[in-house]
Amino acid sequence: MNKKMRLLAVPTLALGALALSTGPAMAHGEDSWSSQATLNTMNNSGTTGQAMVEVHGMEAKVTVNVSGAAETFMDGPFPHAQHIHIAAQGVCPGPDADTDGDGVVNTTEGHPFYGHIGNSLTTEGDTSADSALAVDRFPGGSAYTYERTFELTPETAASLKDGSAVVVVHGVDPALMPAAAAEKMSDLDETLPAAATLPAACGTLAGSQMAAMPEGGADTGVEAAASNGNAAGIAVAGAGVLALGGAAMAFRRRANA
Amino acid sequence: MSLSIPATGTESRLLQLGLREDGSLEVPPVQPGSPASWYTGSPTPGERGPAVLLGHVNATGGGEGVFAGLRTLKPGDRLEIAREDGSTAVFSVDRGEQYGKDEFPTLAVYGNTPGAELRLITCDGFDPATGTFDDNYVVYATLSP
Repeated sequence: MNKKMRLLAVPTLALGALALSTGPAMAHGEDSWSSQATLNTMNNSGTTGQAMVEVHGMEAKVTVNVSGAAETFMDGPFPHAQHIHIAAQGVCPGPDADTDGDGVVNTTEGHPFYGHIGNSLTTEGDTSADSALAVDRFPGGSAYTYERTFELTPETAASLKDGSAVVVVHGVDPALMPAAAAEKMSDLDETLPAAATLPAACGTLAGSQMAAMPEGGADTGVEAAASNGNAAGIAVAGAGVLALGGAAMAFRRRANA
Repeated sequence: MSLSIPATGTESRLLQLGLREDGSLEVPPVQPGSPASWYTGSPTPGERGPAVLLGHVNATGGGEGVFAGLRTLKPGDRLEIAREDGSTAVFSVDRGEQYGKDEFPTLAVYGNTPGAELRLITCDGFDPATGTFDDNYVVYATLSP
């Protein structure tokens, strides 16, 4: 009898340990997931980048890293309108999408491929399609890192899930465009030059191969092993790490609220 | 699962660890002789995507950790993963990169890959003034055909 109970006790303990070890992963349940895109050059712009969308419920943290982009426009940083396009084929157009034959694929010519705007990736304020060309609220210059957390539209969330969401970054140095195309005005806003709204980079957002993207690197150094005799210094450093962790948790809770 | 790195004489079983509450990676124990780990939210080694392995560079008491030799790995060095089904997946080192922890390139390390890849992560950049490791060292490897 005793022996039998002991035998039963072992698997129960093992199950308990298993449940504990999977706990943290479960915290990233079904309403938390991420998608990512490699942004490839369009229209000879030389612009490339990466984008990531981390979704927690209806909120998303969007990160976009861009380099090789047009640098200056009228003596200021060249503004780069950037959007999540949705609900079409979920692909980036090739050169043969240039239906008017002017040598570039403008935003309108790309619509059958990547669709219309689901969310505008502005730096502040409104993030809807209404801000499509809010050039004073987009990042600018030849290279930038954009990060913002905001609420997705239901349509954008649906396209992210079915793989039809596409990140498009706009704005090309007119010197890189065929001369005639560079002299045109934008197909979207006749007060802006064509170069200002021409697609520069594009990438389809695909679900991450990771079940949950880790935050940052790893604490794979044993810092208490330091033999510099400065125990107080180590304790302070450790407290700093704890405080940072606490701040990150508080932020996450607020983001989920 | 277990890992073997012939070039450094490393043999380790792989613990299965997840994420902490703050979303950062759980790491293996710190005692001397502690094994490396596989992050359970990453693809299994040999599956498409970046499988993430972690190991300490040092151990309590000041000795070497299981991944102390990562820096000496060269492109083309073999990494072998013995999987639970009895098969062995063989990877080949592409390169190693050192990154500051405050500017860790999440997408480059954890982002989608066209084939099966490995990421071996340990610490680097020890600062004697603070007693902290300010950097991570990441070895990139791809599945050998």
